[in-house]
Amino acid sequence: MPRWGMVIDVKRCIACWGCTIACKEEHFLPPRVFFNRVLIGETGKFPSSSKLIYPILCNHCSDAACVEACPTGATYIREDGIVAVDDEKCVGCRACLVSCPYQQRTYYDQKVKDREYFPGQGKTEMELIGEKLYPLKVGTVIKCNFCSERLDEGLKKGLEPGLDDDATPACVIACPVGARVFGDLDDPDSEISRLIMEKKGKQLRKEFGTEPAVYYID
Amino acid sequence: MKQRNELEKIMFHPTGSDLKPYEWMMRPTRQQEWIDDKGLFLWLAFFFSEIGAGLYFVSLFYEYKAGLILGWLITLVLGGIIHVLYLGMPLRAWRMIMKPNTSELSRGIWIIGIFAALGFLQIVTAGSFNVVFNCIMGILCLLIISHGFATMNVIRALPAWSSTMVLPLSVISGVWIGHQILQFMFAVSSSAVLASGMEVWAEAFFFVYFLCILLYVWGTWHSNEIGKESIKSMISGEVSKISLIGVGGLGIVLPLLLTLIMWGGDTNGFLIFLRLASVFAGDLAMRYVIMKSAVYKPLI
Repeated sequence: MPRWGMVIDVKRCIACWGCTIACKEEHFLPPRVFFNRVLIGETGKFPSSSKLIYPILCNHCSDAACVEACPTGATYIREDGIVAVDDEKCVGCRACLVSCPYQQRTYYDQKVKDREYFPGQGKTEMELIGEKLYPLKVGTVIKCNFCSERLDEGLKKGLEPGLDDDATPACVIACPVGARVFGDLDDPDSEISRLIMEKKGKQLRKEFGTEPAVYYID
Repeated sequence: MKQRNELEKIMFHPTGSDLKPYEWMMRPTRQQEWIDDKGLFLWLAFFFSEIGAGLYFVSLFYEYKAGLILGWLITLVLGGIIHVLYLGMPLRAWRMIMKPNTSELSRGIWIIGIFAALGFLQIVTAGSFNVVFNCIMGILCLLIISHGFATMNVIRALPAWSSTMVLPLSVISGVWIGHQILQFMFAVSSSAVLASGMEVWAEAFFFVYFLCILLYVWGTWHSNEIGKESIKSMISGEVSKISLIGVGGLGIVLPLLLTLIMWGGDTNGFLIFLRLASVFAGDLAMRYVIMKSAVYKPLI
């Protein structure tokens, strides 16, 4: 069984937020809910300062703090390493949300559901269709799932995740500069494994011991 | 500017502080889920469960059934119901018993369940103050008292909560307030001698409580940069008034004055009530400040 992961080349990323938008479209996310974000900062002082651009998403940690914190087993790690939420089991205690050091989860309540992209003007057709096509359960926690619906469907069709668009997360396909690479971390011959080895891939906040499956290279 | 702020409020996740949306997780970012909006329920639930268990615990030593009943009711009715109200899916609350091996919340539900059953047995049976039974209930009470802060303590991402002093502080605060409620119950139920006799313990508990707060602040400040940020926001951030008036004034200074006035057992009902009200508000403030000022380490 593969263990899915992602490599993000921060030198290639141009902070276009294409991944953020593609993700919002894929999951029909309401305003202020992001499964993908781009953090932009600076390090050092002028004239030797440099800009930092870090696209962030759920790290699908193999020793995830959220999985440990969940009292119902709603948050679990799939066999392929994806950290998923079973909204039939989630009680909305938000222990997972508080314990995630990367803050990559969102509590989906009625207030979030009622938000409109054009406040006071009602929901657009797109928002209404989204609620039908990708129903999110009020009172539960939602998060990035590495587009597991696409992955699972693609695998059923015999496609290869990371290479075939229909079996690859939306943020990876949308990236115009190819800063994101998706693949099997357990396969030593995969592109993702090669990049991590050759470019010494780093995980975010390794000190928390969560073993993220998202690596950053530069 | 006003329009821009309005737009920011609509389009970006409110950070609950003076943090700008683009500074989210780029600067120490405050936890919101367990204190803002509906999160206030959790703050109250932890508080009531703990003081109820504290009252039960202290009542065991005095073999005082009315204290047991009140403690049991506060823990289960107030603490329990508020806990459930906080949940997004309250009807599924039973599912929280499923993962006691990893989740502190789940363990808490088990402990409260056992406490509810054994506590009920202790209250309704005639020979209820058996030594073994008392010991079991005492241990359960201590576990419930520390449950709220233990749930917070395991969260490594928030140094203000994972401080080693969080658990001792929670235990002593539960016992201290439980003791104060019981002393007040004795004072108003014509057991003035007992209330006066309890004063020696009140002095001890108060000073240990005060010491634990000092050690918590000192330990968190020295733990790491993020812990220091939390303490800074307690002292000079948006909760500084609550820290100063609530924790400092009502939780420490006023009880200290009242304790000094009643030093040596010279108690009276009104002063005991005043100190109870003061420590009650002070402890609520202390919990609020600790929950509100916990911040996450920036990601990059």
